[in-house]
Amino acid sequence: MIATELERRFGDPWDSGNPTGHAAVLAADERGETFAAGEQVLDAVGLNAEFVPVDLGGRLARLDHLIQVMRPVFRRDPALGLGYGVSSLIAAVNVWAAGDASQRRRVADLLLAGGRVAAGYHELAHGNDFAGNDLSALPGPDGVLRLNGRKEVIANAGRAEAMVLFARTSSEPGSRSHSQLLAERADLPAGAFRDLPRFPTSGMRGVQLGGLEFRDCPVPADTVLGVPGHGVETALRSFQITRTVLPAMATGILEAGLDVTARFVDARMLYGRSLADMPHIRSILADAFVDLLICECLATVTARSVHLLPDETSLYASASKYFIATLLTDAVYELSRVLGAQFYLRDGEYGIFQKHLRDLPPASFGHSARATCLGTVLPQLPRLARKAWRGGDAPPSEVYRPGGPLPPLSFDRLTLSSGGRDSHSAALTAALDAPDVPADLRRHLLVAANELGTLGLECAALAPRDLTVDARPEVLELPARYAAVLAATACVNVWLHSRDRSEDFLADPQWVTAALRRIAGRLGRDPGPRPRHHDEALAADVLARHRRGGGFGLFGL
Amino acid sequence: MHGSELAPMEPSLRSWLRERVAHYARREPADIDPSVSLTNYGLDSVYALSLCGDLEDHLGVVLEPTVVWDHPTIEALIAHVEEMLGGSSRRMDAG
Repeated sequence: MIATELERRFGDPWDSGNPTGHAAVLAADERGETFAAGEQVLDAVGLNAEFVPVDLGGRLARLDHLIQVMRPVFRRDPALGLGYGVSSLIAAVNVWAAGDASQRRRVADLLLAGGRVAAGYHELAHGNDFAGNDLSALPGPDGVLRLNGRKEVIANAGRAEAMVLFARTSSEPGSRSHSQLLAERADLPAGAFRDLPRFPTSGMRGVQLGGLEFRDCPVPADTVLGVPGHGVETALRSFQITRTVLPAMATGILEAGLDVTARFVDARMLYGRSLADMPHIRSILADAFVDLLICECLATVTARSVHLLPDETSLYASASKYFIATLLTDAVYELSRVLGAQFYLRDGEYGIFQKHLRDLPPASFGHSARATCLGTVLPQLPRLARKAWRGGDAPPSEVYRPGGPLPPLSFDRLTLSSGGRDSHSAALTAALDAPDVPADLRRHLLVAANELGTLGLECAALAPRDLTVDARPEVLELPARYAAVLAATACVNVWLHSRDRSEDFLADPQWVTAALRRIAGRLGRDPGPRPRHHDEALAADVLARHRRGGGFGLFGL
Repeated sequence: MHGSELAPMEPSLRSWLRERVAHYARREPADIDPSVSLTNYGLDSVYALSLCGDLEDHLGVVLEPTVVWDHPTIEALIAHVEEMLGGSSRRMDAG
């Protein structure tokens, strides 16, 4: 399998002579260069095929498998993960979702030949308000579309053979005035566009972030992706895929952070004793580990939901992205406290930590800011309060079985709103009735269930103004709290569906009890005193996994 | 639903839609012109999705979430809904 093969080719991260080890990653970052040795490894396994659907000759069939392949890449070098592949994926999903047969074929051939596609959404003046974008593609007197405007901070803008550009294709107001254009650099006349200078950055320094400026640049007639004017809809459907997989891949950054911190803790003596023996240090390790498990559980359930509950995905993808990005950011920050001065030293044995710390923000809230994700969930909440949360059917149990079979990915079935459906909420209620749930787990589970009840009352009463960007700041707490409830639902149900497999790490109630305890704390509830034996067991697990040199995730790799 | 029942439904649907649009736009229903694009009242893409959900619940039907984007006035929405319901009842009659 590709993930194992990648790990093998990347080799021991701690070997200073390894051309794809931490020292080499750090040196490329210091120079602000693309990590060439890493790209060679990805070329060698034909990584681009992971982004191309199977029916077009690639290996993209399941989002959970895609995440599994990319996690080791992010663990080694987040800039490699974003700069090599994910930026092409962000562009390509628009083509898979909306392109015609020939456009899909062109992009598949380009990627399978090792090429790149740039995702041209971002304009500095508009941030995530992409419907406010200025780049236009309007017909000239001869009827040919002409591009005018700029795209900025675009990964691989200068070296991608093709680009997907989000542009205004009608001057009418409303949500049917934009389209995606699939343009190949070789088809654009020289002189009608120019490359902008590279944008220097503090994180992801190995990613070539550039831009393009167009002036009356004509594009071929077959450039528009899908139905002209349907760009906002295509974007909102495509983003469901990318919001699902990107944060899931970025959990590799927390894994790397745990590995570095465990190494430091193992080696460090303070006050005549090992750092690993200090309860405070163990609690930080345990918390970060549990946060990783929560992220993985939520990411996996969300990815499986895209296959099994595509018409509810608009809700889950954005809620998950918000919650995972938040947990990763907080957890890596907490780990930095263990490292002391080592967390900001730019070289030496632990220098890789500060690089990951700098790479995390663009990995986790680049592409879609957390507030943007909350803004996608918020307007759906009143209808959930009126419908789904008052009772409904639990989803198919396969959604909670990591690694289990899945129906094919269907871009056509992704919709812009869950339409008042939220099957996962019914699974939370059902978990309360499950037999043999340990008392402390059940107590935390009740916190999540009560939270959903409170959310139902508050969301049903939301005023129209509070559904949009005019929402009062405290109202954005509602989708954030919903995301926490969704995470608790994912964790408890993955455990319930795994506990019959006694040899499995997942079957043990310890991780899920700790996970729901953390989530209750995030919801502002007092989860009661810390069970010290949990901290000890979880921290010991972190150290053992570090010594084995394996991953820290729920599912082995 | 039968085609013959649609005609009386239409005036009440119009006033219901004016009330909903006025609610989201924070205006009086009397200020809402059914022939004017909802974007003129500041109803952005988010409100359009919410209005679609309200309309689905009100009529007990399933609509494309983008129905308000494609039919951006109250008149256009009513025409679309009537055509859709009329079409489905004709199909039911034929079956």
